[in-house]
Amino acid sequence: MTAEPRLRSDRSAPVQPGAAPDRRLPGLPAFWIVLALLGAGGVRMTMIVTGYVREYPVALLTSAALFALLAVPFWFVVSELDFLEREPPSLLLIAFGWGGLVATSASIPASGALDDIIAKLGSPHLAADWGVALAGPTVEETAKALGVVAIVLIARHQINSVLDGVVYGATVGLGFQIIEDIVYAMGAVALAGQGDTVEPVVTTFLLRGFVSGVWSHTLFTALAGAGIGYLVVRGERSFRTRLGAAALALFAAWASHVLWNSPLLRDGLGNGAVALLAVLVLKGLPPLVLIWLLVRSAHDREADYYAEQLAKLDDAELITPAERRALKAGSRRASARAYARARGGWRARAAVRRLQRAQARLAVELSRGTPDLSRWSHEIRRQRRVLNRLGHPEAVAPDGKGPWRRTASAVFSTALALAVLWAVVSTLGGG
Amino acid sequence: MGMGRVTRRQLTNLLGACGVAATLGGLTFGLPALNHALPADRAVPTDRPYDIGGGVSVVPPPGARLDLTDTRPGEESGTVLFRVGPVRYLISVQPFDGSLGAAVDRLRRRITGNSGYQVTGTELSVATTDGLRGVQGGFSGPGRGGRYVVFVADSRTIEVTVSGADLDLGRILPAINRSTATLRYAPEPAG
Repeated sequence: MTAEPRLRSDRSAPVQPGAAPDRRLPGLPAFWIVLALLGAGGVRMTMIVTGYVREYPVALLTSAALFALLAVPFWFVVSELDFLEREPPSLLLIAFGWGGLVATSASIPASGALDDIIAKLGSPHLAADWGVALAGPTVEETAKALGVVAIVLIARHQINSVLDGVVYGATVGLGFQIIEDIVYAMGAVALAGQGDTVEPVVTTFLLRGFVSGVWSHTLFTALAGAGIGYLVVRGERSFRTRLGAAALALFAAWASHVLWNSPLLRDGLGNGAVALLAVLVLKGLPPLVLIWLLVRSAHDREADYYAEQLAKLDDAELITPAERRALKAGSRRASARAYARARGGWRARAAVRRLQRAQARLAVELSRGTPDLSRWSHEIRRQRRVLNRLGHPEAVAPDGKGPWRRTASAVFSTALALAVLWAVVSTLGGG
Repeated sequence: MGMGRVTRRQLTNLLGACGVAATLGGLTFGLPALNHALPADRAVPTDRPYDIGGGVSVVPPPGARLDLTDTRPGEESGTVLFRVGPVRYLISVQPFDGSLGAAVDRLRRRITGNSGYQVTGTELSVATTDGLRGVQGGFSGPGRGGRYVVFVADSRTIEVTVSGADLDLGRILPAINRSTATLRYAPEPAG
């Protein structure tokens, strides 16, 4: 007897059928409570920002522009993760707002208070060394994780997989990250005491954006979100097990944040650029690898689930086996688009993009048991006709064609990023 | 479901949302309340130097108590806040690449950046018993007066700000001046 090949994704939590967006959200009490909290957070943050607008308008505008720009690659990654079963924009907006308005406005007074409590119960030395490492992560990870819980409360049916928890967690973290970075930059401007100047903003941007940009709130809260996603979707496990897994993920997010903020290795490796890069790797790599493995596993699980839905169709005009394989991974989807552009120009690329979107949507509707699939089937067939006319009937890149270009591009981008990082570290770290 | 009847789902949902709001409230208001409930000051010896951070030390004035909320010693920088009766005596050490004039200008801007605060009088040159040379000036704010002194030593700025009601300042400033004169920069030998 030959055993069925075990998919890599089988190791992670299963996927539940995607639910249609619920238009009755306002019927739930949680919706109104979350809305009120968003309003309160909005008022609080507006009061803070108003002070900056009066005192440092140019610096504020510059920091808003720079950190919004920094959010683009994060947003791009989150969007790619969310490609198959897309989360409703309204919920993503609530998650983003929670991070940027609610979690930040709660964290500002709470982190300061906890830092003081550490000084009072321990000593000023303890607070100076470990206050930032303990107070920030404790308060911030809690406040951000509450944002994912809030999404569960107002739209439980939208959390169909661990990956959905990752997407909402990352979105909450992204909102928090942008606003926190702007507040930090404005604090640096005020401390510099040179009026409305942009130099402190640029320094903050280089430090928080390039040097420590990857180890960010987006990453930490994605991990916490994975745990909450597991708690919600893994219904066949006991509540105690699911709660334990969620607590473990929250602890891992907290511990990663503590490790990153901690004074460990601060003095042990010297002051040069090499030492700073070594610290980045030693303190940052373990959580980065952990989170990457977890997110990849959750993504693969969701991708396998929706690819299986499409396999049931057995209709090569709707999706071929090779396209099904390509649809499962962001890199292969991108390779298919790039290859289409090389063969049939931008129109072919756009058609492949629309075809992939329609195929993903069809998979979600199949999982929902939607009786009438004609809308998405028609869209796929229309894009297929466009591709046929352009002489590129199948939306895939042949093995060895697309990937090497993308690999070369990735290697080049990584080398460029490292060169920029090296220059920044040398400038700031005194290399 | 009858009109106006609360379902079990809505009740669970309400309880969950209240739990989220309560946890958030605990962070936003509970932690600051706990912080306020704990005493912020601690006795500090006034007969020997106190290490502020960044290699700088000072002998606190008699009767001074350490305010734990604004005291953070560090290797490269540090801050200490003493409370001498109702008067605040804050010393901050930060890395700084610039002249004494630039350091004074920076602190002056920060003071006048506070609503209602302005710099008063003329600035004087001062020196510590250890030979640090600095600039001293005065400021006034709503219901308060103050004194600032700035020193620059070996890529570090030492900023001293003293503030309180005018009557208290007049009584306590001489002791604080004597304390400021004991400021000493003694960097750790490079290992």
